[in-house]
Amino acid sequence: MNNKVTLDMLPSGRRAKIVSIVGGRGLTYRLYQMGFTPGAIVEVVSNYGYGPIIVRVMGVETAIGRGVARKILVEPL
Amino acid sequence: MIEFIDLPGIYGFSSLTIEERIARNYILSGEPDVLLVLVDSINPERTMYLAIQALELTPRVILVFTKSDLTHVYGIHINYEALESKLHIPVIPVSAATGEGIDLLLDKIIEVVEKGKGRKEPLIIDYKELNPFIDSIANILSKYIDGFKYPVRWAAVRLLEGDRELEDYVLKHMSREVLEKITSIREEAQSIFKRDPAEIASIRRFEYIKSLMDKVVAKTKVEELKGAVLSKYFYHPVIGPIASFSILAVIFLLAFIINTGFPLNTLFEALGYEELAGLVEEYSLSGLMDQLFTGISNYLYEVMGESILTHLVVDGIIGGVGAILVFLPLIMIVSFSLALLEDSGLAPRIAVGMHNLLTRIGVSGHAVFPLTLSLGCNVPAIIATRATPSYRERLRLIMTLPFIPCQARLVVILAFATALRHYSGGLLILYGYLVAFLVFALINKLLYEIDRRRGETVSPEILLEIPPLHKPLPRVVWWLTWSSTKHFLLKAGSIIFLASILIWFMTSYSPTLTYVEDPSKSIAAYLAETLSPVLAPIGLPREKAWIPAYTLIMGFIAKEIVISSLLIATGADNIKEAVEIAGLNDPQIAGLTVFTILYVPCLATLAVIYSELRSWKYTLLAIAMMMFIGYIAMLITYYIGILF
Repeated sequence: MNNKVTLDMLPSGRRAKIVSIVGGRGLTYRLYQMGFTPGAIVEVVSNYGYGPIIVRVMGVETAIGRGVARKILVEPL
Repeated sequence: MIEFIDLPGIYGFSSLTIEERIARNYILSGEPDVLLVLVDSINPERTMYLAIQALELTPRVILVFTKSDLTHVYGIHINYEALESKLHIPVIPVSAATGEGIDLLLDKIIEVVEKGKGRKEPLIIDYKELNPFIDSIANILSKYIDGFKYPVRWAAVRLLEGDRELEDYVLKHMSREVLEKITSIREEAQSIFKRDPAEIASIRRFEYIKSLMDKVVAKTKVEELKGAVLSKYFYHPVIGPIASFSILAVIFLLAFIINTGFPLNTLFEALGYEELAGLVEEYSLSGLMDQLFTGISNYLYEVMGESILTHLVVDGIIGGVGAILVFLPLIMIVSFSLALLEDSGLAPRIAVGMHNLLTRIGVSGHAVFPLTLSLGCNVPAIIATRATPSYRERLRLIMTLPFIPCQARLVVILAFATALRHYSGGLLILYGYLVAFLVFALINKLLYEIDRRRGETVSPEILLEIPPLHKPLPRVVWWLTWSSTKHFLLKAGSIIFLASILIWFMTSYSPTLTYVEDPSKSIAAYLAETLSPVLAPIGLPREKAWIPAYTLIMGFIAKEIVISSLLIATGADNIKEAVEIAGLNDPQIAGLTVFTILYVPCLATLAVIYSELRSWKYTLLAIAMMMFIGYIAMLITYYIGILF
């Protein structure tokens, strides 16, 4: 169950816990500020396997490009 | 008197973005008496992150919980008094929709400023395992306390997280040694915890917020609002782009028709209803404004008589102010439509919907709004690129947005379209827009590939918060509309005004500085003759080329002047007649139209390119690129024209 995957691999409706973010300093910090901190719970609102994925963190919906989503490591719940 | 300063919208006080640096330096400047931090009542935990960071920076904060009228709809209950007593600062719920809480807020501002109520010291957050590291950095900094403009503990936390601006400050005002000590403390923390201190600090801040909010916020489960279901369609890979594109297309068609009558007039014309087309054009906004200014000018000639002063006032100043005012209603209509999209929450959904399509030319969904604004006026469009997260992407956009024909150029295209002898005007209009968008797409793709090969950019990404859909508030829509209109008036207005006087001078005086009635003897005409060989490749010999060359020189200043200067130079009453006098054939008209669309849009756009990029290099590069591409496209158009 505790397989770590990147955020872009989660299907719509799935919830997961953020493990870590691997990215440039600017991007990583911006994500922290938006509530994407390790330990935070993300819910995938929509992921069509193509184009931006929409996730909900702390009640706020955010559109994330796939390239960014690939840098967010999560643990599915 | 209470004066409000609106700081840029930010997520925190790092020094990553220019907005964050502006905000924090302004707060620290000592200028503001009190800082109002807005917290979204619907998502208090997330938006408290900024508030908490503000409190670490300064104690003089009032928390303003917005959208307080909506909390019950979302099943959220907030105990404002409890939060107030926990943080020792005023916490005021307000609603822009109902006006609730605004008076109370004003009272509290006065209380805090005049009676010194509220906190005395900045908030200290327990960063747990980071505390010893923060303390040792603070210890180093405290030796340099004289003239240090930042709160020491705050600066220590920021330096532990890695903050470029503060590091530069340390290097400049303390020493390289101090900076190295601080950096080694950060590296030590990093190696002990195997994590970036910035990550740990963010986690601890959210923990603090959670422990704070758990005691003051109660939530009851409510059913998902109906907007949520509808909004999911925008995320669909096929429906999303179609829905987004349709919304933008409808808005723009309406704005275009109200403004110039196009494309409704062309449609009527094509169907054979010439009279109806004429009416649509006459009662379009630019038609009506035109009549108004012609009326005023005629009246002034009657009252003031013919003199150099009258010429200056009528042709120079009224002509110039008129040129701005003609576009004002359109800019307002476009700004208004975009404000509706923004305030309703549709705008970010459209950006998501268009993202995939736009990535093919190397830009992200963030480019949608600059791109649509460009169809109205390039000036606010270039300012709107500020929201683009990647600098290289923003740079590419700023350089290429001027290819998109604004309303001033639409007016020129429409006028040239009426002058064609053998082809339908609608075809030229369609061709013009097609070429413009094609060039925009190709050059963006090209610049993107160049950037990518140099390793200066990564694939365009979107990172965008999506607020819930709601009915737009008239007041907010008005604020947004006015703010972008104001930008246009200030930037474009001042330049067009000066330019009009300059043009008047260049067309009314000879190179020997004597006043001339005949524009063909003016400074501008002299310049045009020197440059006219440039137009030889499109079959214009020197004696013919000076008139189009002259109008293009004038058009450098502002595009709408192309038409009026063509009329002045030929002494004709309408464009059809002017084109005949100038001896231009259809392929030449088409070529000149394309050149007009693509070369430098106007001085105001150049000014805003410079002021946004602060770089002469890129501004000059943009000019050279536009001229070159415009010229090539003109030649291609001409040769296609003579083939048929």
